[in-house]
This record gives sequence, structure tokens and C-alpha cells, in this order.
Amino acid sequence: MQKDLSKVRNIGISAHIDSGKTTLTERILFYTDRIHAIHEVRGKDGVGAKMDSMELEKERGITIQSAATYCSWKDHSINIIDTPGHVDFTIEVERALRVLDGAVLILCSVGGVQSQSITVNRQMSRYKVPRVVFINKCDRTGANPERVANQVRDKLGLNAVMMQIPIGLEGDLEGVVDLVTMKAIYFDGDNGEKIREEEIPAHLLDEATGKREEMLDAVSMFSDELMEAILEGEPTEKMIKDAILKGTLALELAPVFMGSAYKNRGVQCLLDAITMYMPNPMDIRNIALDLRNEEQELVLTSKSEDPLVCLAFKLEDGRYGQLTYIRIYQGHLKKGDTIINSRTGKKVKIGRLVRMHADEMEEIDESGAGDIVALFGVDCASGDTFTSSDISYSMSSMHVPNPVISLAIIPVDNKSQGNMSKALNRFTKEDPTFRTYVDHETNETIVSGMGELHLDVYIERMKREYGAEVKVGAPQVAYRETITQRAEFNYSHKKQTGGSGQFGRVGGYMEPLAEGEYEFVDNIVGGVIPREFISSCDKGFRKSLEKGSLAEFPVSGVRCVINDGAYHAVDSSDIAFQLAAIGAFKEGYKKAHPVLMEPIMKVAVEGPTEFQGGIMGSLNQRRGIIIGTLEEGEYTAVEAEVPLSEMFGYSTVLRSLTQGKAEFTMEFSDYKQVPRNVAENLIEEMRKKKKEQGK
Amino acid sequence: MLKEDLILKNPLRVLSPADQGKAAAPRMGLVMSRAGLGKTAILVQIALDSMLRGNKVLHVSIGQSLEKTKIWYDDIFQDISRACNLERAAEIQEELMSQRMIMTFNEESFGVAKLQERLKDLIDQNIFQPDCLLVDGFDCSISPEKVLVQIRDLAKKLNINIWISAVCHRNDDRVSKSGVPAPCHEADALFDTIILLQPDAEKKCIALNIMKRDGEVGGSRPSLILDPSTLLIIEKC
Repeated sequence: MQKDLSKVRNIGISAHIDSGKTTLTERILFYTDRIHAIHEVRGKDGVGAKMDSMELEKERGITIQSAATYCSWKDHSINIIDTPGHVDFTIEVERALRVLDGAVLILCSVGGVQSQSITVNRQMSRYKVPRVVFINKCDRTGANPERVANQVRDKLGLNAVMMQIPIGLEGDLEGVVDLVTMKAIYFDGDNGEKIREEEIPAHLLDEATGKREEMLDAVSMFSDELMEAILEGEPTEKMIKDAILKGTLALELAPVFMGSAYKNRGVQCLLDAITMYMPNPMDIRNIALDLRNEEQELVLTSKSEDPLVCLAFKLEDGRYGQLTYIRIYQGHLKKGDTIINSRTGKKVKIGRLVRMHADEMEEIDESGAGDIVALFGVDCASGDTFTSSDISYSMSSMHVPNPVISLAIIPVDNKSQGNMSKALNRFTKEDPTFRTYVDHETNETIVSGMGELHLDVYIERMKREYGAEVKVGAPQVAYRETITQRAEFNYSHKKQTGGSGQFGRVGGYMEPLAEGEYEFVDNIVGGVIPREFISSCDKGFRKSLEKGSLAEFPVSGVRCVINDGAYHAVDSSDIAFQLAAIGAFKEGYKKAHPVLMEPIMKVAVEGPTEFQGGIMGSLNQRRGIIIGTLEEGEYTAVEAEVPLSEMFGYSTVLRSLTQGKAEFTMEFSDYKQVPRNVAENLIEEMRKKKKEQGK
Repeated sequence: MLKEDLILKNPLRVLSPADQGKAAAPRMGLVMSRAGLGKTAILVQIALDSMLRGNKVLHVSIGQSLEKTKIWYDDIFQDISRACNLERAAEIQEELMSQRMIMTFNEESFGVAKLQERLKDLIDQNIFQPDCLLVDGFDCSISPEKVLVQIRDLAKKLNINIWISAVCHRNDDRVSKSGVPAPCHEADALFDTIILLQPDAEKKCIALNIMKRDGEVGGSRPSLILDPSTLLIIEKC
């Protein structure tokens, strides 16, 4: 099956919470005949939207996992990834963006550019994703698409150009005027499926002509041919469209469309825009690293006849076993093919190849460059690159943030215990930001993730999908320890208790490491520590990193250098050198001025201006540093950096402070040193806890 | 180079050898030029210098986003630390940024009364106590004297130093006696320091013409220029 790549689009849909991403996707699937009835996200029929296949998603009305789907519109194949809007699920958004060629940024016509839209836009910029803007919910009271387009310019720094103007707004929204064709478009039928093109209503003609001129002015920057045509007379539709495409692909133009997905207005025009202005796989320059040639960068060709390169961007343990979503960048993939995982070097045989449609799938025999498909029963981690056997390339890795919050979970009975492990096993494979381990001292299972909601959702899923009932402890912040200065160590481990003894001496120093968690440097000369025991020293240091002696939090940012030591021909062993390294670490660590570090969140609060003082006060009380404020008429936003430990329960505080009129979002920013007084309290608490456990 | 050397060797020293903190307050400075010559770059360098000396700076940006203003600081700091080979640059940068707060307004929302109200919030609740206030992007085009008097009063009342940027226009040739161009030509007495940026076509750089320093007009002035590639202030050799 050789597809015309110029007619393939891989797009994502991202936006702020509750901007209507899933509702829009539902309409797209309906108009492209993938589904035959529309179900609302929080609809009374209880079916829920197609893309929200998880029971929990339907109930809460939010999208948790991004589901992939496929549809056709005017002989174009479109792969769509519906991405979650909540910042706690940001890894899903990042993964989706990595493999997409273009994206639709949805904004609410009332709320405009909100804090999460800024985050998503930043992510899109990081992966250089061309975007079109869809201003949704134009049927809502207070809708003002023009204001939103201005915000896109000011706040997101995009060259937003309106391609349409609305016919009526709020309750009177009837359709849109297309500024390229200068036609009024109405959406008739029960579900807006019948498109009617008419002349522009007389009362909108002047406005439409003015806006078209503005649009042509902006678009003509990308095409000399168009500019000449405008000066000489009337430019053709094709010239305008080509110029829009050129500007969009260069990331210098963001065409703006509008409508209301809920009221079935404007969705088909957006689909047209996706086919016209979003890039096809050949338009995008994808880079891989050649592992056989010192990781030299290579540009992939997007040709199906070239060797295969594809990236696994999402794993899912579904009803039918492990499912691996891949994006093929180059070459083609057939059932029965053998491919290589370039990280592990392992060969993998393709058993089943499917195309996903939310939680349903279609078996296919082969697939080519530019496509997004899924494989069955392939053991890999997300972010792995697969290639054909004659090459060894790796796609650049994806940005995976570290978890910042943890909870202890305790199963209520034996049955739950078993189910809980099964669930955790699956979740950790699917989501690299969700991690789990057992605290050996308390014997509790600890789960960690990106925020309260993130963990909350997994605990709910454990209960619903696996029948694992768990008791949940209070959320704990993932503190860390680090050192602030260089310190020497020289430690001998000796043990003589009958039988063979243990002996090892490790000397060297430790120093702060600015980037990275840990580095081991072997500067041993003259074999004072034999080769076979060097790795034992590394192991010993790594063990020491698990718990710092300050307050028993993990240690990071340390470089351990060994340059001296001693051994005994009989008594030295792997374990002896491990213990010597542990002793050496302890000795050096004390002298290296260890400090506590805590996760700092970037918090953005938005609300009416009258509450600005109160909002700033509330952040200040939480040890927050106000980075800045923004004031636009009646609306204000405050941006601050606040320690995560101070943010628990902030939503309630903010609600009562602002009569529920302000909202906030936060995302992890960095680890910073805990102020001394707070650190002292924490260390004291840990001591008490340990004492109690001792009793 | 260490942080201390950076303070001592800063070319801005010739502009004001004394500490710009509370001890010198209240003073008011003006940076003028035609659009796009580097007013913001100068203000940011004044702010960074003040912050390096332990002062807290409130940067009020009118018509520019929070993100863009932050980028100005990051870029200029990085250029300085690269040019001076500053040790422990990342640490110093982090320390400095906690001494800075940015307040952005769109043109219609800004007013001196509102600024005063916001400052009151910050100071009363002990959120941020600025020693130095920068106002960038303020529209001085229509007889700004009244507003500038209000800002001067604000500096006195809060006992802080204030720096303002203003745009002058090529086709407006009104000047004050001391040579300060319109639209601030009738308000030059309000400022202790006035810097005019002028392109020097011959040397392909932008010269800082220090028209008034610590209340004194005229006299011999050291020559400072803006490096056209980095927009850093350097002494003319």
C-alpha cells in the first residue's frame, strides 16, 4: 500500500483545560464518517465522547490519555492525537508533539489565551510544530474572537491572522465568513453537516472587506507573487492559500479560524484548513543520530523505499496485550518484518500491525513513512527508536521531567495487594513520569508523579480497572539532598570475625556536579585498587545516593572521584569495596556541607484585577517569589515561583480569597535549596519519625 | 572575574560612582532615544548593576509582555557574564533574579495612580520593597510634565530611585536649553541624570551622550557607547 504522502497529515489538538478539545475531535470524527452519532463529553446519554474511552475520563469529563485516531477528509488521511489539557499530564502532550507535524491550538473565545495555552504553545515551539488556531465556543456569552486573536499576538508572540469573521456571536452564531473566498458559510442540518455557501450578508460586507485587506497584508509577506498580484489587481485564491501555507510552515504565521464545536459551527472549515495549511510529512525536517558514526546528525528522507526509522512514543497495556504506538519517519513496515531496537540492539519481529481509532483498532498489513500506527507484543520503552537491520539511528530523545510529589499507598487486603502490583507495573511502563518503589524501612509502596491530580487519577484507575483498593497517605514532596563544596575522603573497611575477612580502602574526593545527578570518576593509577573492584566502588557510591545522611532524602548532583586506595590479596572482595565506598561517602558527605533541595513550581494565577494584591499576598505567604504581574484592563495574571510543599490546598485558599473568580496552574520549574529554618524543621521531623519507627 | 570586580569595573560607574541604593535616593534618571536604539538594554543594565549591589529592582514594562522582559534580563546577563568571564554565573543570576520583580501593563491600563496603588500593595504586605524603579515604555508624547512631576513625587514619597525611558522623534526639533530633546524638553529639571542615545554613523555604534549627571549639566563627560552586536555598555577607547 503506497500512499501519496502529500495527502497525509499528522496533527495534534492541544489547549487549556476545558477549551473543548475532545468535543471538537468528536465532531471531526462525525463529519469524516468515523462515527455515526455525536456523544457529548458530559452528555446526558451517558455514552461519553469517543476519544474518552477510559471510564474515568467519561466520568470526570477530562482527557487523561491521549488517544490516537485516524480519519479521511477530502482524500487526505489525517492522524489525530487528542491530548490532555491538564498540566499534570504534560508528558502526554510532549510525546504527542514530538511525533506530530502540525497542531491545532484551541482557545476559548471567552477565556482567551490562558496559562496552559502558554505552556502548550511553548512546548509546540520547542518541537517547532506549525500551528493553526481555532477559537472555539463562539456561542458562549461574552465571546470575542478578535480579542482572543490579539491575545495570541501579544501573549504567545504568534503572528495570528484571522482567516474568518463570525456571522453573529453568542446565541446568534450562525456561521462564518471565509476571508479567502469571500463567501458566507452556514452549517445546516441537525448536526451542522450540510454546508451552505452564500453571499456575505450586507451588514458584514464592510467589515469582511477590511479584514480581508488586513489578512492579505499579512499573508503577502510570504509571497512576492501574491504581493505583485495585490498591487496589480485581484489575487487568485490559490496564490493566497499558497502564501498562507508557506508562512505557516515557516512558523511565521498562525492562521486563525473560529466557530463552536458544541453547536456544530465551523468544524468543517477547520478540517479544510488542516488539509490546506498543515504540513505533510515531507514538509518537516526530521533529524536522527547515526550511532555508527559518532552520533552525527542526519536528515530523514520520508521515502518509503529507504531503510526504516520509526519512534515508539507511547506504550499502552490494553485488552489485547501491550500496544506500542509508533511514528514511521522513513521506510516502510510490513507484517512479519524484523526490526532492531537501536537502544538495546535487540531484534523484534512484527506480529500484528494496527491502526488505532481511540480504543478500537483496524488490522493493516503494511504502513509507510509519515504514518502513525501501533504494534503488538513488542517489548520496549517509550522513546525507543526502531530501524531496519542495515542502519543504526536514534531519534533525539524526548524531554521527560522528574516526578515531584509522592504518596504512600497501602492495599486494604491481600487481593488488592496483588492487583495493585499488576496495576503499578502497567502504569509505570506507560508513563515515565509515574514511578513507584517500596520504602524498605516502612515497607510502604510509594508512588510519585507530577502533581496531586496525576497521582489521584492513577489511584482511581487502580480501583476501577484492577479492583485494587488502597489507603492513601498524605502527599509528600520529593526533597533531595546535595553537597555544596568539595570534600576529601579516605576510608578503610576492615572486618575480621573468623573465616575470611573483609578489607578495602578508598580514597579520593567528592564535589558538587552542576548538571546531572551523579558522576563517578576513576583516577586510580598503579593498581592500588584492582580493576575488578573499581565497579564495586561505583556501586557503593550509588547505594549511598539512595539516602543522604542529612534527612534521608535521595542525594543528587555529586561527582565522586577516587584516586587512592589499598587492597588485600585475600580479604578484598566486591562487597568489601562496596562497604568501603559507602564509608568513604559518609565521611566525605559530612564535610561537603550537604543541604536540602525542594521542588519549586512555576505558578500562574489569573483573575480579576481587584484581587491582585490578595493573590500576591497569598503567594508571598507561601514562600513564593513573585516573578511578575501582568495587567490588562480588568484582568490580571501573577506569575511566581513557589515551593511545592507550600502549594497543597492552595485551590481552596484561592477560591475563598477571590470568590472563586481566579484560577491557577502550576508546573515544575526547578530544584532549589530549602531555607535554613525550614530545613531544620524537616530534619527534626525526620529524626522524630525515625525514633518512632525504632520504638 | 568575580562578582565584586564586575561591580567595580562596570562602565556604569562613570555614570554614577555612588551606590544607587537607598543612600542616594530619591533620584530620577531619564534614558532618551529614537525608537529601537537600545533604551531597554540600558535600563536592564542599570537594573542589573543595582541588583549586583544588593538592591531590589521593580521593572515596570508598559506594552511589553512579562516573557519578553524576562528574556531581556537573561540575554543581557548572559552577554555580560560571557564578556567578563564571570565565575559562578548561574548562581549569581539566580540570586539576582530574586531581587527583581516585573510588572507589566498594557498601554491603556497604566497610570501613576495605579502604579502607586500596586506599590502600596507590595510594600504594605511586605511582598517586595523596591530600592529602584524602572519605567520602560511610558508614552511621553503628549506634554508629559504633569505625569513626570507625579513620578518624581512618588520617588520622594517612597524614597526610591526611578529611571524612565522616553522616545524622541526625528522630525521634532524642539530642545531645552541644555539640549534635551522633545518631548521631555520642558521637564529636564526634574531629572538628576539624563542620557541621550545617538547613533554614531562613523564608528558604527550608538553613543551614550550623558547630558546631565548627578544634577549637573555640561562639564566633561566620559564616553560610553553601546556595543552594536550585544547592546552592552562599554567605555570608548
